[in-house]
Amino acid sequence: MSTHLRSAIREERRERLDSALAEAGLDLLVVAGDPWRSDYLRFVADVTPAEGHAIAFVERAGAAKLFVETPAEAARIAKEQPGLTVTWSRSAIAESDRAVRALGAKKAALAPLAALPRRLATGPLGATVQQGTALLDRLMLVKSGREIEAVRKAAALADDGYRVFREAARAGRAEYELVAEVEAFFRSRGCPENFQILGSGGREVRGMHPPGDRRLAAGDLVTTELTPCVDGYYAQICRTLVIGPPGEAQRRAFAVYDEALRAGVAALAPGVTAGEVARAENEVFRREGLGDYVTAEYTRVRGHGLGLYVDGRPMLLEDVPQVFRPDMILIVHPNTYHPEVGYFVHGDTVRVTADGCEVFTRTPRELFSVSA
Amino acid sequence: MRHGLIAWSRDEVPASALDARVAKLQAATREERLDAVLVYTSFPRPAAVAWLTHFVPYWNDALLAVFPDGAPVLLASFSKRMNPWIEQTCRVGEVRSAPNLGQAAAALLSEKRASRVGVVELDALPWRIAEPIAAAGLADASALFTRVRHPADQFEIALAERAHGIARRALAAAADGSRLASHALAAAERSARLDGAEDVIARLAPDLREDATLLRMEGDAPLGARWALELTVSYKGTTVRATRSFASGAQPVSWREAQSWFERTTAASAMADGTPGRIVSYRVDVPLGTAPLDVWDTDGPETSVPLENGSLAVLSVNLALKDGPWLAAAPVLIGQRALA
Repeated sequence: MSTHLRSAIREERRERLDSALAEAGLDLLVVAGDPWRSDYLRFVADVTPAEGHAIAFVERAGAAKLFVETPAEAARIAKEQPGLTVTWSRSAIAESDRAVRALGAKKAALAPLAALPRRLATGPLGATVQQGTALLDRLMLVKSGREIEAVRKAAALADDGYRVFREAARAGRAEYELVAEVEAFFRSRGCPENFQILGSGGREVRGMHPPGDRRLAAGDLVTTELTPCVDGYYAQICRTLVIGPPGEAQRRAFAVYDEALRAGVAALAPGVTAGEVARAENEVFRREGLGDYVTAEYTRVRGHGLGLYVDGRPMLLEDVPQVFRPDMILIVHPNTYHPEVGYFVHGDTVRVTADGCEVFTRTPRELFSVSA
Repeated sequence: MRHGLIAWSRDEVPASALDARVAKLQAATREERLDAVLVYTSFPRPAAVAWLTHFVPYWNDALLAVFPDGAPVLLASFSKRMNPWIEQTCRVGEVRSAPNLGQAAAALLSEKRASRVGVVELDALPWRIAEPIAAAGLADASALFTRVRHPADQFEIALAERAHGIARRALAAAADGSRLASHALAAAERSARLDGAEDVIARLAPDLREDATLLRMEGDAPLGARWALELTVSYKGTTVRATRSFASGAQPVSWREAQSWFERTTAASAMADGTPGRIVSYRVDVPLGTAPLDVWDTDGPETSVPLENGSLAVLSVNLALKDGPWLAAAPVLIGQRALA
């Protein structure tokens, strides 16, 4: 079901794509995806596969066709996108390879490297992958006003989703039961996609994972990151709660993560690099004698880009030179292991503005406590 | 991308069952004189590795290396600190943290001196993994894998029956008198996930009198007097599909006849006589490779590969009845019976 905003974004993206193709001297872009890496497909054709591979052929200022792998997907996408020619076969990859070989003199490029199957990469357009991927990466990095509106809506939904999570969390409930309540809530709000992981327990917990059958107990830290999708765009929130009253060590730990989040958000502005924002977060931990815990041994990234993908560029790591520009969107999250209390998360979705950044997620930054 | 419960119950799938599956693949590997078989797994393509090891990635991806002898090695592009979680939820000989899967695979193949390497769905292997191992002499091992993967063993059948039960109860929960697609989907989602579903993919036709196309439903829509919901439910790495058509008030007579025909068809795992109305389309989906379900047979021009009786499958039908379109789907064992 397309909303008005989604239709407007689709048209806007298509205009930007056509301009970029013209500038690059390309007649056509061939874009691969699947239900996990659907971001590039969403950008060029507003398609989100539900199963199988999907490969789009998008002509500059012209028609677009899509190869999928089930008749149900072909019927669905054709209905949702009447302007798209959709055909199915057992292998969208083989079908696309044949179509690439029939392109003749058309100047085309392949994308994206992240989702490119071997058969297409070893075909006639194999040498164009870097060009095609870079072209789309440039277009997807800085968001338009309408794209920002979609992320803002997703952020509001993330806040609401966290409230549902908090209400569901109590001693005796299994991890997967909490996620069931959140997913049902998102469905009730028309949201078909959400990426969510969590953790529960104490010092033994080293990270977040999909929900298991562990039951929550008094004193547990319960971490989660929620990432709902609105009109194709994701926003994320990370928070930690305690089952029962927080202990002193948990309060002390929260203060460190809260300061690190504030430091990251305060550092974020146009002209600043991703590395500088990561460093601002990490310095808080170093000052507290927790420098070991901001290394790859204990954490992955200090935040990352958001948009059409849940884990986009740039990664917030101290060696990433990407310079921020206005209207880039990301989550700042100094999530990592704490030696006294276990894995701890805390993060907000933000937009880079002309002179700093705007925080989209509104859930209070506090160590929540729910009754045991 | 909506993962629910991921956990390995040794009661449901004992280690010996997984070992037996790996042994079948190893025997075929030796017969084909391959030095290794590589099996890719990711969020949308978890089925083959889940069948062999019970591992289901919740994001990122991984590559399972099965050698002619010994336990499989899982190269996982997750943080090393997630290895304990991986080891708790699956059975492999070794988990190696591999941020760059292609380079890690090249190193492992070199270490094992593997020069003839089969890859399940070689065409689809992501290029960032395939490029570093291109020198290894890669061959497509899709047919080999499909051969050893079927028919279903008792443990896969039990998981499929549990998944079917989850789907049936979720479909019943959706029929709660909701007039909005979002409410019906929320009821189904909640039921399925509280029941232990690992994943639920929903497609819904909000008004069968207008159109029988099953949509992904982003946003909302009012439900007509007749509508249909398809749920693809995964439980512990095993995926089935169930579809039900709903009518407000009394079920039309032609729908009751269709239900009876569909039950006879799935019970015999063969199209029953006396089809009510016209079969607009049918489809049989089977887990052939890395995808949870692949199209195996349809009313269209595509031809099916041979499978042994007893393979797990899902039959989906779209009938044109005098009371309008009617959709149904349910899992079966090919050539044998319906699943409970």
